[in-house]
Amino acid sequence: MRPSRGFVVLTVLVFAGDLLAGSLEVIVKDDKGRPGSDAVAYAVAAGAASAAPKKQAVVDQRDKQFVPYVTAVQVGTAVIFPNSDNIRHHVYSFSPAKKFELPLYSGVPAEPVVFDKVGFITLGCNIHDWMIAYVAVLPTPYFQVTRQDGRAVLKDLPAGQYTVQVWHPALKGQPEALAQRIDVGGGTKSLLFTLPLKHDVRAKRAPGLTTGGYR
Amino acid sequence: MTLSIVLLILFSSFARAEWRFEGETGVVYNSNLSNSDRSADVRDDWAWRSDISAANGLQLTRDLRLNLGADMRGEVWDRFDAFNTIGPGASAGLRYRFGLGRQAPWVLLEDRFGYDRFHDTAQSGYDNVLNFQTGIALSDRIALEGGYAFESFVSPNDFYDRQVHRGNARMVFDVTSSLQVTVGYTYREGDVISYAVPPRPDIARFSIEREDQDEFGQPLRTAYKLLGRTHALSFSIAYQLMKYASVQLGYEYAITTHDPLQYENHLVEANIAVAY
Ligand SMILES: [Cu+2]
Repeated sequence: MRPSRGFVVLTVLVFAGDLLAGSLEVIVKDDKGRPGSDAVAYAVAAGAASAAPKKQAVVDQRDKQFVPYVTAVQVGTAVIFPNSDNIRHHVYSFSPAKKFELPLYSGVPAEPVVFDKVGFITLGCNIHDWMIAYVAVLPTPYFQVTRQDGRAVLKDLPAGQYTVQVWHPALKGQPEALAQRIDVGGGTKSLLFTLPLKHDVRAKRAPGLTTGGYR
Repeated sequence: MTLSIVLLILFSSFARAEWRFEGETGVVYNSNLSNSDRSADVRDDWAWRSDISAANGLQLTRDLRLNLGADMRGEVWDRFDAFNTIGPGASAGLRYRFGLGRQAPWVLLEDRFGYDRFHDTAQSGYDNVLNFQTGIALSDRIALEGGYAFESFVSPNDFYDRQVHRGNARMVFDVTSSLQVTVGYTYREGDVISYAVPPRPDIARFSIEREDQDEFGQPLRTAYKLLGRTHALSFSIAYQLMKYASVQLGYEYAITTHDPLQYENHLVEANIAVAY
């Protein structure tokens, strides 16, 4: 039996959609025009449900700092917090999207932490008050953290309509307020985000600046 | 049994202890090193001051930390070398935090015992400071800290024995990620030594005196030990150069009274601190 004309057309469209996977370059600047590094750019596809996350993410602790400073993961991702120092750390989060505590430990904890709710999480260490890092838990597999030059490239986005947002640890307000819509087809498109940022007042490590009775 | 468990916990904590080495050096200017009330008697000077320390932080439980430290301090004055001093000290402190994280309120009970060897050896002696401090974060950039300290200096020459009670409060602002500003107030009550060219029957009435002191050259002065009350306001800024180093600039205005005697000190300090 000859396939109907309608079926042929539909098949071609579906293939075309896959073939037309595109890239999206996100350029982030702060309100003074400087490049915004450590921002999380993410694109949420209209309608379509995303596949389950596959990869594990790692937030390391090296020289009494979290590495990296900002991590982005898809919701449901397991994150391991290895301690690469020869002293102990005590990692915690008070953030509503994931409250947890990894009491004093060295080496690699037996269990990873599964980030099962969308949200932005602040990590701290109870021993080293200056240690701070962030995990952005996102409802999409399409994301990237901006580099020093304030740019991120989201690759292999299937053609379609996306809502693109940018989050930053110092962002004033919610990322939804700056959301942009874009149609992705073949090729690379570009979006500019200008973020209003708060002063960075993170706890200080140098001697003479630490408070809280730290010695 | 209990003791051996405690020892075992202490030993295992030591094995995983975290060392911190700090060094600080800089200059301090005192507008009235002689603590004199009459402007003709006032002698100012500046000193080079250094301090090195090694400290060990032992986290005993989630909220309780034991800090043990050893340090060496020195001061070299530009003109009045009788006040040059050097000496070692040892300290132990327990810090308890009411909860997890840097914003949790905390209390610290600490004691430092040291020996100060003065160039003018008669002034040398043992120094003990018992310090109770507490603090609370009002927001992610403002913290309030305050406390009480009791300082006791014991010298073979008991004229130089001093006991001082100190109450202090300070507010710490994190202005940016590398700049911290502190505003503080200190009240001190206790023994002070004020130098004056005699005769000063007005001071002699309420003081112990020690005559013919040549610390400040000619004319010879009398050192009067008396009970003074000091109000001091201070302001300091600290700037983090990199994660292991900072510079600090500080100013303190202090006014000390024992009716009818009254003298003022302006202290200016500039330091560089490094840690490893
Ligand atoms: Cu830590």
